[in-house]
Formats: sequence, C-alpha cells, structure tokens
Amino acid sequence: MPIIKQHIAQVVDTDERERPRDLAGLVAELELDNPTARRWAARDLAEFQASSEVLIARLKREDDGSVRDAILTTLTRLGDTAAVAGLVECLRSEDAALRSEVIEAMKQLPEEVAPIMSGLLADADSDVRIFAVNILESLRHPQVEAWLAGVIEHDPHVNVCATAVDLLGEVGTPLSRPALELLKARFPDEPYICFAVDLALKRIGED
Amino acid sequence: MKRILIIDDAATVRLYHRNILEAAGYAVEEAVNGIEALEKVMQTPFDLYVVDINMPKLDGYGFLKEMRRQDIDQAPAIMVSTEAEADDRQRAYRAGANLYLIKPVKPAELLIHVHLLLGEVRA
Repeated sequence: MPIIKQHIAQVVDTDERERPRDLAGLVAELELDNPTARRWAARDLAEFQASSEVLIARLKREDDGSVRDAILTTLTRLGDTAAVAGLVECLRSEDAALRSEVIEAMKQLPEEVAPIMSGLLADADSDVRIFAVNILESLRHPQVEAWLAGVIEHDPHVNVCATAVDLLGEVGTPLSRPALELLKARFPDEPYICFAVDLALKRIGED
Repeated sequence: MKRILIIDDAATVRLYHRNILEAAGYAVEEAVNGIEALEKVMQTPFDLYVVDINMPKLDGYGFLKEMRRQDIDQAPAIMVSTEAEADDRQRAYRAGANLYLIKPVKPAELLIHVHLLLGEVRA
C-alpha cells in the first residue's frame, strides 16, 4: 500500500505547473523533457495570442501524442493567422500521423481556413490539394459544394478528383450534376472515377 | 473462402474495393481506420489486408507496424496510396507492407496481386 501511495504522490507532483505561467515561462516549459509539463504548457499557452509560432515549431518535432493533441487544441483555440499558416506547413510534413492530426484540427476552423481554401486547392503539390479536400469533409461552410465542384471540373490530378468526388457524393446537390458528368468525361478510362461518379449521381438523385 | 480486410477512411474506396474482391469470390470486411482494424484483427486474423495510408486516429503505417510488431498477424498486406514517391514506398515496406499500389487501382491490377500474395493460381 505505501508503495502505491508514493507512486500517486509522484504522479501528482509531476502534473503540477512548476514555473511562472507567463509567456516566457510557458515557452521554456514547452522544451522540458517531462511530457506532462509540456502538455500543461501547451494548454496554458491558449491564453497568449503570440504563442502560435512557438507551438507550431514544437508540434513539428513533438513525439508525444498527448502533447501533440494539447498543442493542436490550443492552436485551434487561438485560430490566428500564424496558427493557420503553421498548420498548412504541417500538411507538407513527411509524418503521416501529424498530417492526419493537422487535417482534423483544420476542420475545426471553418472561418479561419475558408479564406485560404482556394489557395490550398490550387497548391502545386497534389498531396496538399488532396489534404485540402480532406479538410472540406467536415468543414461546415456554405462554399464546400462549390469548392468540390471546382476541383472535379478543373484539377488535372486523378487522385485529387477521386478524393473530391467521394465527398461530393455525400454533400452534393443536383447543382453538382454537370461537374460530375464532366469528370467522368475527363477520365473515361479510370474505373474508379466512373464508379465514384455513378455512385455520387445515384446518391444525389436519391436526395 | 479467403477473408480480406479493407482499411480505408473513404467509404467510396471501400465499396469499390469490396465490389472487386467479392465478385472474385473473397469474403470482405471493412475498417475505417487503423484502430478499428487492429480491433478486428485481434478478434480474428484475415488472409490479406488492403490498407490506405492517410487515415485519422491511426494511419496505415501505424496499423501495419503495430500488427507486425505485436505479431498479431503476418498475413500479406497491400498498401494503397495516392503518394507515389520512393520514400513513401520504402516507409510502407519498412512498416510491414508486402506490396505498394498507387491509387486509383484498376480491378485487374488489384486482383492479380491479391491472387499472387495469397498463392493462388487462377486461369
């Protein structure tokens, strides 16, 4: 029993905020070896608008999943230009898990992401365009259908269109029919595109 | 009947692969991310896995690494991805994939690789 009590006491100790909760103190704490301290620092930095760049820098090299979660939560709370720009940078990361986490975070920022969405959908990197479509999946914004229709009408990359048509099948209305027909005509030899377009048209017809 | 697990967060992709594989006589189940896939595999292993890379909660690399590392199942796995870079392929093979295919996968292409990985000879 004493051993268990001692263990609990140690856990509580490490969970306490040990340094001043000002910006400089929290930034310093974000670099400590202890992930619990880093997690607290990431949470408390939500009180400081100037902390987005520091959080993004840490996010790119943070190994601990719970600290990454805390950083992303704070960044979505801050939702400023630096936070959004930093999240976009992370979409280009080689780390697939980080990219997925960032996509989920950006879905929470419809008003902040909307102004840069056209730019993301026109990015030179087709992977970034795919991730932009992924963000649209649950981005509650009135432009979503129009953005997706634009992608399948104009994007030259089959996988960007494939990702967009999947989503258009879920959120599309009869307004998207011409764009869907055009996509099928643009990629007549791609069985997946033909399958996905037929499915989307059927779903739209059922609504 | 051989059992195949399709792991992909895109419902249309899952349905497309399911149709191809079921028409060829396989029993197919689906998972929407790596976590759900691990739960299914721990209940009953499959004969083959068709795995997407980018998925929420646990991506395809993470799923394969965990399944191989914990020795839950060593059955063949095909990783399907939109990413065509050599680095992505290497990462997939290091994670435990047996094959790396670029999306969108054509039906004949998928089936021939499934047959080969399952050691089946079909006319």
